[in-house]
Amino acid sequence: MSDPTERYRSKHVTEILLKKINKEIGQIGNPVRLMHVCGTHEHDLVKAGLRSLIPKEVELIAGPGCPVCVCSAQDIDEVLWVADTHGAIITTFGDMMRVPGSTESLYQAKGRGVDIRVVYSVSDAIKIAEKNPKTDIIFFSVGFETTSSITAAEVIRTSIPNFSIYSSHKLIPPAMELLMQRDDIEFHGFLAPGHVSTIIGSKPYDFVPEKYNFPVAVAGFEPVDILLGIYSLLKQIRENKPKVDNVYKRYVKEEGNLAAIRALDDAFVISDARWRGLGVWPKTGHEISKKYAHIDAKKKYTIPDLPLTDLHKGCLCDEILIGKTKPSECKLFMKSCRPDHPIGACMVSHEGTCNVAATYEEIDL
Amino acid sequence: MCLAIPAKVCEILKNNRIIVDITGVRREADISLLEETLEIEDYVLVHTGFVISKLDKKQAKEDLKLWDELLQA
Repeated sequence: MSDPTERYRSKHVTEILLKKINKEIGQIGNPVRLMHVCGTHEHDLVKAGLRSLIPKEVELIAGPGCPVCVCSAQDIDEVLWVADTHGAIITTFGDMMRVPGSTESLYQAKGRGVDIRVVYSVSDAIKIAEKNPKTDIIFFSVGFETTSSITAAEVIRTSIPNFSIYSSHKLIPPAMELLMQRDDIEFHGFLAPGHVSTIIGSKPYDFVPEKYNFPVAVAGFEPVDILLGIYSLLKQIRENKPKVDNVYKRYVKEEGNLAAIRALDDAFVISDARWRGLGVWPKTGHEISKKYAHIDAKKKYTIPDLPLTDLHKGCLCDEILIGKTKPSECKLFMKSCRPDHPIGACMVSHEGTCNVAATYEEIDL
Repeated sequence: MCLAIPAKVCEILKNNRIIVDITGVRREADISLLEETLEIEDYVLVHTGFVISKLDKKQAKEDLKLWDELLQA
């Protein structure tokens, strides 16, 4: 069997799905707003031009699905404090480098001599720790369940005295619940993130239709995957039969990846977490569990309270992160805040809503 | 960030490691987070050096059947 990915880019299937989507929205008769909570969805759907292909009555809003965008400046400030006071080497993903801290980004700190190294994986950070036994190495670990499960695997099996992990991990399903409870954003269904779901499965979303009467479609990332998700959500809305529809079954099981879930449950405990500009959201974070305190940077170092600036003046990242405001509605967008000079976190990562809009969408300059 | 890349299994190594082909590039991946057994030519999703999911071939074929129904409906 050949790689099936190509089939999910079929022009023929895409065209037929678009017709079906048009028919559904015609029958619904009202505009529909669907939220995704995945930076990769935002990137891939914009790159494929799907917003311009679907009917204008169907609005796709980007929720807080880009993990480096939702990472609070507090986390960046704290890892930099450890580097400055303990001479530690910071290792992290490339996406984190230019995300603004309260006073500086990791990239700016690197410019003044802090040793910060970009790694592809937590495993690479561990190799750096093994090669530098006399220096403290911190892995600044950011991401949702997909990435947390990888970190969890290493938390469980790694014990190197000079290595610790600063967890900035966050959870998707409880964040979805908080988004549904807000009365300042109106939307009618969730396109659930495909790769988070490979880990947690489709079951953790059951509360969404059951408790909130809200439709969910678990979708992959090729154009056909995303359109199948949109079609499913519209059909559920038209029939008023909300459920969790998994249209990414080739990689997502109902029960998820059991080995990864066990690793997550063992390595982490659920905690409150600060989301950029949005304050502390209860029970949406993952901290390293007591059992593995020896690898927890937050336990290893006594980090003091540091003055926090999560949003710089004029930055609307907080509203953009929850789909309340579009990038073009921010006064800084493509003026002082640009991909080559980001002021807000959403302009940094190639999955950030503002960066995606700046890179792929038509901009009225 | 939750980007995961489809890859083909090329070689099964020792210690929970395999070699995968990602669009023509061969690299090692860790399979300690996968319960299913892998065979050469299986497709998997790789995220930051770890295999997080194996392609369900039966389901992928099933998808094609569902499309046919959808396309004819």
